[in-house]
Amino acid sequence: MTVPATNEGITPGVPEFVARHPTGAYAGLSPTTKLVVAFTEAAVAFLVRGWTGPIAVVLVVATTAIIARVGRRMVPYVLATLPLVASILLINTFLFPGATDVIARIGPLIPTWSGLEAALQATLRVVAFALSVAVFSLTTPTDDLLTDLERRGLGRRGEFVIAAAVRTIPRMLERAAEIVDAQRARGLDTEGPRWRRVRGILPVAGPMLTSALTEVEERTMALEARAFSAPGRRTVLRLLPDSAAQAAVRWMLLVGTFVVIIASLTGLVRVP
Amino acid sequence: MDWLSRQFSTRVIALMPVAIAINIVLGYTVQTVFKLPIYLDSIGTIFVGVLAGPIAGALTGILSNLIWQYAPGIGGGTIGPFAVVAGVIGLLAGLWGQLGVYRRRPAQGTSLWGPVAVAIVVILVLASRIYGNPVYDDPEYFVSWYSTAILIVAVVLSAAVAVAAYVRRDAAAAWVALAGALTGVVAALASAPISAYVFGGVTGGGTDVIVAALRQGGTDVLNAALGQGFFSDPIDKTITSFVVFVVLASLSSRLVARFPLGERLLGAESA
Repeated sequence: MTVPATNEGITPGVPEFVARHPTGAYAGLSPTTKLVVAFTEAAVAFLVRGWTGPIAVVLVVATTAIIARVGRRMVPYVLATLPLVASILLINTFLFPGATDVIARIGPLIPTWSGLEAALQATLRVVAFALSVAVFSLTTPTDDLLTDLERRGLGRRGEFVIAAAVRTIPRMLERAAEIVDAQRARGLDTEGPRWRRVRGILPVAGPMLTSALTEVEERTMALEARAFSAPGRRTVLRLLPDSAAQAAVRWMLLVGTFVVIIASLTGLVRVP
Repeated sequence: MDWLSRQFSTRVIALMPVAIAINIVLGYTVQTVFKLPIYLDSIGTIFVGVLAGPIAGALTGILSNLIWQYAPGIGGGTIGPFAVVAGVIGLLAGLWGQLGVYRRRPAQGTSLWGPVAVAIVVILVLASRIYGNPVYDDPEYFVSWYSTAILIVAVVLSAAVAVAAYVRRDAAAAWVALAGALTGVVAALASAPISAYVFGGVTGGGTDVIVAALRQGGTDVLNAALGQGFFSDPIDKTITSFVVFVVLASLSSRLVARFPLGERLLGAESA
């Protein structure tokens, strides 16, 4: 078998189908860089008070989404925030405590300008956060992130827990649906009065937990058979691209975000 | 350090991803299939805490929320910032596991009703701290029915403890209910500031109705979030604790004994 050309010398001797380096302007960055960007965006969106923080995050996220060409795929993430946005707008606009700047009086409903401003700010923060999660999720495969973190010292236990959890969720969703259908065939009530629905929790949760523990026993034996608890670190075959410039950007983002948040929360720097 | 490394045996490492998946899937199923105004997204966390210990339980809770928020295809919502609360729940579950709260205690007569009486008294005392507190009767901050509603919740919880203990003839039902109620109160205290300052007191779920009602009464954002938490978290965590207790009681002793706190759960250490 001919070994194809390796990935620009990043991991010599490892064929491309093993290395599988991500490509693209933003997606090609180190997964750790994208993780740091996502966390700093979330921190700035929620902890820098006022309009500046969330607006800055929305602009940055929109730019990265355009660069990474994931704009259209972010729509479901934004739509998922609609119930929360609706709650925020209604409750804050109509029930903002202490507000006297009334917009209008519609029967018992009294929306206020202060409430509306607070609602829009909170909405902007939630949307900014949702967009940053979307960009990160769409540009960073979980395997790539965990491989990079393991190389940086995460440890095989941490890598296994996160990777196995992400892979187990779809299977468990299917199993939950099967258990609910089976219990409904045996008289489980999921549509009746609330007290009857509460009684249905144990018939669903019980089989899920007991079958999960059986899986744990099998998985434990499989891990032990593969020297999972052996001392020493594993050799990481996939080295994902990184650079000194990216490392510098990561540190600058972390330190800069920390400074900005402290300055905003303490009032040292007042931003609109 | 030996105490810490024992909490992360291969069996516990294999259990944690399953527990994380259970948290996410059961939480999703309860809200979409059963349409109940409770979360039930901590069953796996409490399971790991009781079987493995506080640090393993805390990590399970934190990772559940972060994975639920950021994992591709299933991520989104508002769960991520509450990772700290999930960690606290796991920490407390480990503490209850260390104390052997979830150990079966078959009993009758005074041995059964004594612990039930203690649990009921503690629950009512916790409720009375709210019911008798003038802050919660202040019409500027809370609606007039709030403290009465808390008392009703406490009475219903107390009745549930008594019924569960009587049906199972097991005094542990009282301690499990107490552990669940206390965990719920602590979770409410931990989640209220996050809900108030990060999301403005609302999280897009059915419990926003309670927040709206309290805000209608003039409550500020933090107290409205706290009031909603005191309503729903003790109920949610008590139901969760009972589910974990019933499932643990149905498992074989050999299976349970293999976990770090298994022997404490079976009472083998005191034998």
